[in-house]
Amino acid sequence: MEAIVIIFISALISLFLGILKKPTLVMVVSIAGLAIGAIVQNYEWYFLNEKYQLLDFNDSNIQFLNLAVTLTGIIILSGYKHFMDEPATIGDFSALMLFSLSGGLCLIGFKDLFMFFLGLEILSIPLYVLAGSKKKSASSSEAALKYFYLGSFATALLLFGIALVYGTVGTFNIEKIGFISMLFTDQLPSMFFVGVLFMLAAMLFKVGAFPFHFWVADVYQGSPSVFMTYMSSVVKLIGIYAFYRLFGMMFPGVETFWTTLIVIAIFVSMFIGNLSALNQDTFKRLMAFSSITNGAYALMTVLTYKSGSDALLVYMVGYGFSVVALMTINMLVNDNDDKLSSLAGIGYKNPLIGVVGIVALLSVAGIPPMTGFFGKAMVFYQAFEENMWLVSFALLNSAIGVYIYLKITMTLMKKDDNAAVISLNWSQQLVLSISLLALLFGWTILYF
Amino acid sequence: MMPALITHAEFSKEFYLFLCPILFTIGAIGLMIRKNMIVMLMCIELMLNSVNLLLVSFGNFFGQGDAHIFVFFIVVVAAAEATVGLSIILMAFRNLRSIDVDMFKKLNN
Repeated sequence: MEAIVIIFISALISLFLGILKKPTLVMVVSIAGLAIGAIVQNYEWYFLNEKYQLLDFNDSNIQFLNLAVTLTGIIILSGYKHFMDEPATIGDFSALMLFSLSGGLCLIGFKDLFMFFLGLEILSIPLYVLAGSKKKSASSSEAALKYFYLGSFATALLLFGIALVYGTVGTFNIEKIGFISMLFTDQLPSMFFVGVLFMLAAMLFKVGAFPFHFWVADVYQGSPSVFMTYMSSVVKLIGIYAFYRLFGMMFPGVETFWTTLIVIAIFVSMFIGNLSALNQDTFKRLMAFSSITNGAYALMTVLTYKSGSDALLVYMVGYGFSVVALMTINMLVNDNDDKLSSLAGIGYKNPLIGVVGIVALLSVAGIPPMTGFFGKAMVFYQAFEENMWLVSFALLNSAIGVYIYLKITMTLMKKDDNAAVISLNWSQQLVLSISLLALLFGWTILYF
Repeated sequence: MMPALITHAEFSKEFYLFLCPILFTIGAIGLMIRKNMIVMLMCIELMLNSVNLLLVSFGNFFGQGDAHIFVFFIVVVAAAEATVGLSIILMAFRNLRSIDVDMFKKLNN
């Protein structure tokens, strides 16, 4: 609760500080706001333990809050150079990211469909603007348009589903709805199931899974790299965690109805993501398809709500920091033409970029010492008890994924003496080092 | 038949249960087949407003204020969405001099 207020206020301050055209000041304010918000929230959770009616930041919620806040701070740092290029709009960009994050925090801690809907909208509406923030570029405005229309359509579907569920049970409280769906499973009218179906469609849309995955590649490719990083790490993390809590808490009684549909969605989106990623030559589009696949793996935790959210947390630490590291490298090398081939030899000539790139790619591919491996192993291990054949297909897909990511690693580390030597400024060095540490030791988050 | 129904104050719950999905479907179909961005925005508003009507009628049926408050939030969010949507349309129009969605096919495989 305090975190949302503090982050919102720091967003307002950085919005108005933007008038001074001092990027460093704005970034210091927004990152300080993020840090203070997270610290105050942790303090409140640890010492005061207050209860609110609509929001709840308990043990697992506070972990996801910390992860989302940390990732956002790092993404703002990694966009430092991008922001420096346009000092007039720095205030708007970082403020919109923080507004979006404060909506995301509502979405992490919701206890009620009010808060869920409001959080989802506060998360999404700034993103429509950020996707189109390259005003002169036609592809950026196309991405914003697609994201806006499809996102609003998904919102309308979600609201219709909420209305139908409310019409059946007569309450917006998540726990009460879960209680009713457990007690009166046999007497629920078909209207309730139609509502569940609509909400499922909307949530699958928001996390970008089959059959609503088609917007992901276009929107990610068209948006500026910084905001694409934000969308594919923080928004994906929050969306999947909200999905996990919503369906796990709200509809435990009618599980057989929606688990089948989610299993189909996971199965198809794994294959779509991987097979489309095989023949991409632009980096952002490849990352978009990779995010479809990784989102599908993470969605497996929705099926195993009872086992807790640890697996999802570790998985998202691995995936989120990999995306941040890889996109930072991509922003350093090629921001405009975005070709995979222009990465060739960069890692060979620049040791820090090479090491971080290899670690990030191995982590997202799921090779043992990295965090991504632990996350994937935990997710698959949990899901194995529920659904054996789905996990076996997921393992097959991981194998395809290893091929895709190792191919990029080979390009990055090619022995090429003509490759450019890139000078990193302090913010990029900081981002790369934090990502490296998180990717190597992120799994220790379980012991905190 | 219809005008007589509308002047009468008491509707059954079933009336709204048929009316709102019909409005919602009209909005959804309009969003899919129309090419003009402004009309598509209007279709989204129609979908949101059909949900408002459904929520209000359910809230009336249950005798609770929850749904009515939810409707206020939806109205606020719809206004914010329309603002953002119109500015995105304006930006797109400046780039391509058209508000036909078929003009936007640059990002594709």
